Amino acid sequence: MVDLNINGEIRSYDVPDDMPLLWVLRDVAGLVGTKFGCGIAQCGACTVHVDGRPARSCVMSVSAVGNRQIRTIEAIGRDPVGQGVQKAWVDLDVVQCGYCQSGQIMSAVALLNVKREPSDADIDAAMAGNVCRCGTYPRIRAAIKTASKV
Amino acid sequence: MRRLGLTILAIVVVLAAAAAAFFFWPHGLTDVAEARSRLPTGADSVKRGEYLAKAADCAACHSVGSSRPYAGGLPFHLPFGTIYATNITPDRDTGIGQWSDAEFVRAMHHGVGRDGRDLYPAFPYASYALMSTEDALAIKDYLFSLTPVHAEAPPHQLKLPYDQSYLLRAWKLLFVPRQQFNPDPGQSTAQNRGAYLVEALGHCGECHTPRNKLYGLDSGQKFAGAVTAGWKAYNITSDATAGIGAWSDQALADYLSKGFAQGHGAASGSMAEAVEYSLSHLTPEDIKAMVAYLRTVPGHPAPHELAVAPSPRSLNDSTHLTPAPAENDQESLGLEVFQGACASCHGFDGTGVNDPRAALAGSQTVNDPTGVNLLQVLLQGSRFRTDHVEAAMPSFHAYRDVELAAVANYVLAHFGAKSAQISPDQVARARRGQ
Repeated sequence: MVDLNINGEIRSYDVPDDMPLLWVLRDVAGLVGTKFGCGIAQCGACTVHVDGRPARSCVMSVSAVGNRQIRTIEAIGRDPVGQGVQKAWVDLDVVQCGYCQSGQIMSAVALLNVKREPSDADIDAAMAGNVCRCGTYPRIRAAIKTASKV
Repeated sequence: MRRLGLTILAIVVVLAAAAAAFFFWPHGLTDVAEARSRLPTGADSVKRGEYLAKAADCAACHSVGSSRPYAGGLPFHLPFGTIYATNITPDRDTGIGQWSDAEFVRAMHHGVGRDGRDLYPAFPYASYALMSTEDALAIKDYLFSLTPVHAEAPPHQLKLPYDQSYLLRAWKLLFVPRQQFNPDPGQSTAQNRGAYLVEALGHCGECHTPRNKLYGLDSGQKFAGAVTAGWKAYNITSDATAGIGAWSDQALADYLSKGFAQGHGAASGSMAEAVEYSLSHLTPEDIKAMVAYLRTVPGHPAPHELAVAPSPRSLNDSTHLTPAPAENDQESLGLEVFQGACASCHGFDGTGVNDPRAALAGSQTVNDPTGVNLLQVLLQGSRFRTDHVEAAMPSFHAYRDVELAAVANYVLAHFGAKSAQISPDQVARARRGQ
């Protein structure tokens, strides 16, 4: 059994301790907002927050998470920064196919928590690990800028 | 004149006979019955042998991957050709099932096969020679408790004259100790236990000590660091700058038992394997003993440019998500590759975003401007696995040479404050295993 703190709720999960966090989130906890993309931390689709830092849940085993706080896309609207990002995403209609977008939003919120007013270079650096094959990058950047002014 | 000629002839004949005897006289066997009588029997000896086999890291070389442990077959590509690890499961035809106690001990201490042929020192008998006969026999008991696997190791492919294995007798005369480990009364019990673990079982020097022209370990530079099979084994002398002198006991123990230590990065390549197969299985007391012994190894300095930069400004000015503002002003291919491919796990401030093993601050690999291990990690990835932990970095071999060279130079500058000049050619050579 592994105890995990997901979105503020601590529960025990009957999973092997080397199971990737993403497997637990999607297949055991039923939180399917976080997506599986590449499985090797190269695309960013599976990004969640672990103690506020963006983490690639496909390569992070539950034993490596320990008792740290996990936040997924399902709970991102619980604080003002997350709400601001959600609103900007909707206002600018950022999403095209949408598959990568939970990861994009998780990375964007993490960036705004570290840098309230990120420069273009900051956005490039913090978001470059989140791949979008529809090419919504210009709208992502614009939405982060919009959210930063709220 | 004639008498002089005869004398010379006689001398030549005697020397030739002596040389022939030296190289071709069959190896004898030492009676090990007394050591056997001191060993416990059955499961107790097997259990002791299992621990010792792990401490001696037999599995790392005598297995291919984790599929058939101890069944051999792993190739070693050496400057003289390729040799293959042998099957040491108790299979009677292809393994060691027919070996006697004395034959096994002779192999461990003197590097001689069951058929009397001299074995190549990729099998680290120059270290195992220090092992006690009882411990060697316990390892044999453990190996004989395994399920026999029928697996013939491929024949060695060596160039002349290296395929003439009898020549190894001269090498052994120079480089193989003739005595087993003898505790030093001037050292503590822990230091002596550590010395035995490091020197006799762990054979750390086989990678960490540079080799001389005859491919023997250069004892004058003990543990000063060397490149073996494309990976650099770092300086582990007590030198505070070049070696591990400035590491805390806890950091050393963590690195040995878990494969990483806070502020020193993580082990990759052969060292990650040594931790996975061997060191992570040792008791905390034995790890402490190894640390106590390593402290006593005299410091061996290294050029200043290899020293780990304590706290580079580039790290202090970064957050985990964004690099130092000064770096953003430069058009840098290295930064571009790093932020897209590396930053999501490693971060920019050296603390590691996804996993403590991804923390690069203080790691020797990102402070070594030769980039030997850095290129290996980029090209091969890195993997660490124990019963409870699995951490992996994928291979980035699909990137072009120019991109990998750029990201290597960026990483060395950003995390190690080193001005490195890794060229695309160097990446291409590393790719080819040169």
